[in-house]
Amino acid sequence: MADRLFAGFLLIVTLAYAYIAWTIIQAPFQYDPLGPESWPRILAGAAVPCILYILWRPDDEPFAVAKYTWFRLALMVALLFAYAELYEPLGFIISTILFGTIVALTLGAPRSGALAFGIGMGVFGYLLCVTLMGLNLPDGEIVEAALQILQGGSE
Amino acid sequence: MIFTRFCGAFAFAATLAMPTFAEITRPECIAPANPGGGFDLTCRIAQTGLEPQLGTAMEVSFMPGGIGAVAYSLFNTTRTDDGSAIVAFSTGSLLNIATGKYGEFDENDVRWLATAGADFGAVIVRADSPYQNLGELMAEFAADPASVVVGAGGSVGSQDWMKAALLLRGAGGDPRAMRYVAFDGGGDAIAALLGGSIGVYTGDMGEMTPHLEAGTMRVLASMSAERLDGIFADIPTAAEQGFDVEWTIMRGFYMGGSVSDEDYNAWVDAFEAAYATPEFAAVQTEKGLLPLNIAGDDLTAAINENMALLRTIATEAGLIN
Amino acid sequence: MDVILSGLATGFSVALDPFNLMLVLVGCFLGTLIGALPGLGPINGVAILLPIAYSLKFPPESALILLAGIYYGAEYGGRISSILLNVPGDASAVMTTLDGHPMALRGEAGRALSTSAVASFIGGTIAVVLMTLFGPLLASVAVGFSPANYVALMVFAFASLASLVGKSTVKTLLGALIGLMLATIGIDANTGVARYTFGIPDLLAGIDFLIVVVGLFGMAELLHLVEQQVKGNLKSLPVDKTFVKVADIVKLRWTILRSSLIGFVIGVLPGTGASVASAVAYGTEKRLAGPEGSKTFGTGDIRGLAAPESANNAAAGGAMVPMLTLGIPGSGTTAILLGALLMFNVQPGPLLFTQKPEIAWGLVASMYIGNVALLVINLPLVGLFARLLTIPQHYLTPLIAILAFIGIYTIVGNPHDLFLITALGVFGWFLRKLDFSLAPVILGFVLGSLFENNLRRALSISGGDWAILTEDLTSIVLYILAFLVVFAPIWLSRRARRAAAA
Repeated sequence: MADRLFAGFLLIVTLAYAYIAWTIIQAPFQYDPLGPESWPRILAGAAVPCILYILWRPDDEPFAVAKYTWFRLALMVALLFAYAELYEPLGFIISTILFGTIVALTLGAPRSGALAFGIGMGVFGYLLCVTLMGLNLPDGEIVEAALQILQGGSE
Repeated sequence: MIFTRFCGAFAFAATLAMPTFAEITRPECIAPANPGGGFDLTCRIAQTGLEPQLGTAMEVSFMPGGIGAVAYSLFNTTRTDDGSAIVAFSTGSLLNIATGKYGEFDENDVRWLATAGADFGAVIVRADSPYQNLGELMAEFAADPASVVVGAGGSVGSQDWMKAALLLRGAGGDPRAMRYVAFDGGGDAIAALLGGSIGVYTGDMGEMTPHLEAGTMRVLASMSAERLDGIFADIPTAAEQGFDVEWTIMRGFYMGGSVSDEDYNAWVDAFEAAYATPEFAAVQTEKGLLPLNIAGDDLTAAINENMALLRTIATEAGLIN
Repeated sequence: MDVILSGLATGFSVALDPFNLMLVLVGCFLGTLIGALPGLGPINGVAILLPIAYSLKFPPESALILLAGIYYGAEYGGRISSILLNVPGDASAVMTTLDGHPMALRGEAGRALSTSAVASFIGGTIAVVLMTLFGPLLASVAVGFSPANYVALMVFAFASLASLVGKSTVKTLLGALIGLMLATIGIDANTGVARYTFGIPDLLAGIDFLIVVVGLFGMAELLHLVEQQVKGNLKSLPVDKTFVKVADIVKLRWTILRSSLIGFVIGVLPGTGASVASAVAYGTEKRLAGPEGSKTFGTGDIRGLAAPESANNAAAGGAMVPMLTLGIPGSGTTAILLGALLMFNVQPGPLLFTQKPEIAWGLVASMYIGNVALLVINLPLVGLFARLLTIPQHYLTPLIAILAFIGIYTIVGNPHDLFLITALGVFGWFLRKLDFSLAPVILGFVLGSLFENNLRRALSISGGDWAILTEDLTSIVLYILAFLVVFAPIWLSRRARRAAAA
């Protein structure tokens, strides 16, 4: 069943892909006989029979994911998106402390351990990457604004 | 203090004694590509060349994506007023603006700052090629545009293709009738020329420096207005050989459209101060560029003029309507 | 020969200076740390650390030696996350996960890591030796490799990947097609037309390799871990003290030698790099291992680890050949070198060896030393790295995400990439769950544009005549090899069965 659903999804995407290849993609002129559209057409043409075969004969292995597992996976994905969203505004240190602590907690780490892990990753991760390896991690818009106010105040 | 970058701090300490244009804090040069390419090089010129003027080695960061489109749209949307960052551009970027590849934004949406230098187009064949001068090649093109395989490092509509198209036009042929092969960068195109897959390579003069002495390739013409100096002094221009085909690759920097005049002028002053020094000229030469020093309003005027020409050519070739 | 020996002597006299030796070790260690971040490999490692070396005002030889250390360190660092976490550090490390990670799960993380270091060392050293001896000769052969030849090579590469077929042939094929379709996103390299970009500027240059790798593998692995943990299927592994044995290396000698040669040859060709080399070497070894091998490869067969490891290091060395001898930058690897040399005002090119022998030979010598430094730094640390697996899962899982985010963000500083890897991770998790293997997706992605672009280049050269594809000997030989790689094993196993029946 899961196989069929996924194949159905792929079929829709592939048909859209093929539609674009047959209608939209074209060059004002080209030096090779294939042009930009032939290769995507070939790929779509090869993918459709494969998908149809899976629709016709899906694997019979059950797709066993319990409701609770779905919930936990969705939570993880939501946390990842939140982490990505807050990466620049909050900066590496704060966003990593939040993300590390929360994820560790949801996965069953003891409270103090999770907090120590989050803070350790945020602070030491930043120090290690930025000062030792010279990588470019976000300081955070909020942090920069706060620092500016602090500096402005001391002048 | 945690937030002060280690390397920045180091460079700053090393150059503390120099005269500085104190207005620019934490200067940054953005190369809108991966490390190692032309934009990287452009930024390195500013990094080394402006170090005495800025009092610090500016940070170079990379923003690849959409052949510069990602950086261009970022500086037109979120970082429009960032007075400490400059972005590298080349004639290729202008061409992308002209053909609409940068989306809704055009050349009036950013502030053109200064040039880093220039390079010029070159018509290159293998050392054992039958063509001894540009005239022989052009005669061949005029007789049958498809008789010679031309290759270069970019797709149709790129700078490299433009050079080939201009050449065909100069010979009186239709650029669409030639045989053109697009490679993934100049390196692959040179390999194909040396390996005999293509007959002519429309490259740049600068990249020929290490190859000229080795004698594996011959430059039929430089696509510059005047002959170049130094090791290029013996290479005739296309115009000298009776063909009006010129291609200048300008390299330089722009800033966001809403940058304050104060910040903008501080940068222009820094560049103009650097232009006056022999050290800047030395940096240009080291990085394989030829001098072309224009900043501020002069540059904006030059670019507007340039854009008109690019649009004409692109329209003629059918790339834009 | 005399020239080579005296050149090497010059080079080593520069590279063996105590200060430079210290630099190569420091570089190797830092490189290992950077390389261990998913997404960051040698290219980024060098690009990131070189400006620091520059601002410290080292002389060019010292800086290049530091570069060699960082380079080999980062190359190896990528293996650590591949083997231990099933998260490839860069595109060439994808094949390493196939057998490396199962070995780690079996409690042989130390053995896998140390085998990888030794195989990398041998592959890298063979490449440098070949480069020293035959560099100029090979380079002139390599440039003669035409677009039509590349098409044949890609056909061969696809054919050798036929051995990757997992449980379901259709799913493997479809996986490869998904990769091929993903690779068509972006500006077409021939006509400059945008394909499937939907007006989004971030998509114009296509989806970055590293994002696909880290997304499909790394983030999918993360979701897999969460799932297993919720089900209670996960436990931390005990500290493992396994280590590569001399007997292992003796047993692997032909695998490593063959893969190093394959890697070196593919590496020398401009445009094809370590990822193609490691895939072809893995496919070839699996084929050669016969029916018995097709069962053990992919489940932690040490040969399946040694083959890609030696091949990709040999390819990285091979890629230096056209660069140093002809001044043609062919791959990402050589773009680093080019940048580094330019930064020190050394113009790489055909005359580098005659004009600046101390730099050219210093670089070659530092590649020898960088290879040794890799062993010296990393073998003693294998035990320490392997302990990473003893970290409880509730810390290891967020750690993977944090490392992946650092790796991807620091490449270009674009927060959109973080969303993209997460989305690709969800997609990759579904693929895994439904028994699609991910390696064909990645390889389709890698090989697709090489195949399409070279096919269209060949046809542009011939003016549309398809005969160009089969008109020279090199192509024909490659097509025959491709045919043999696919059909010989089938034929051999049939014959064996018939013989057994008779």
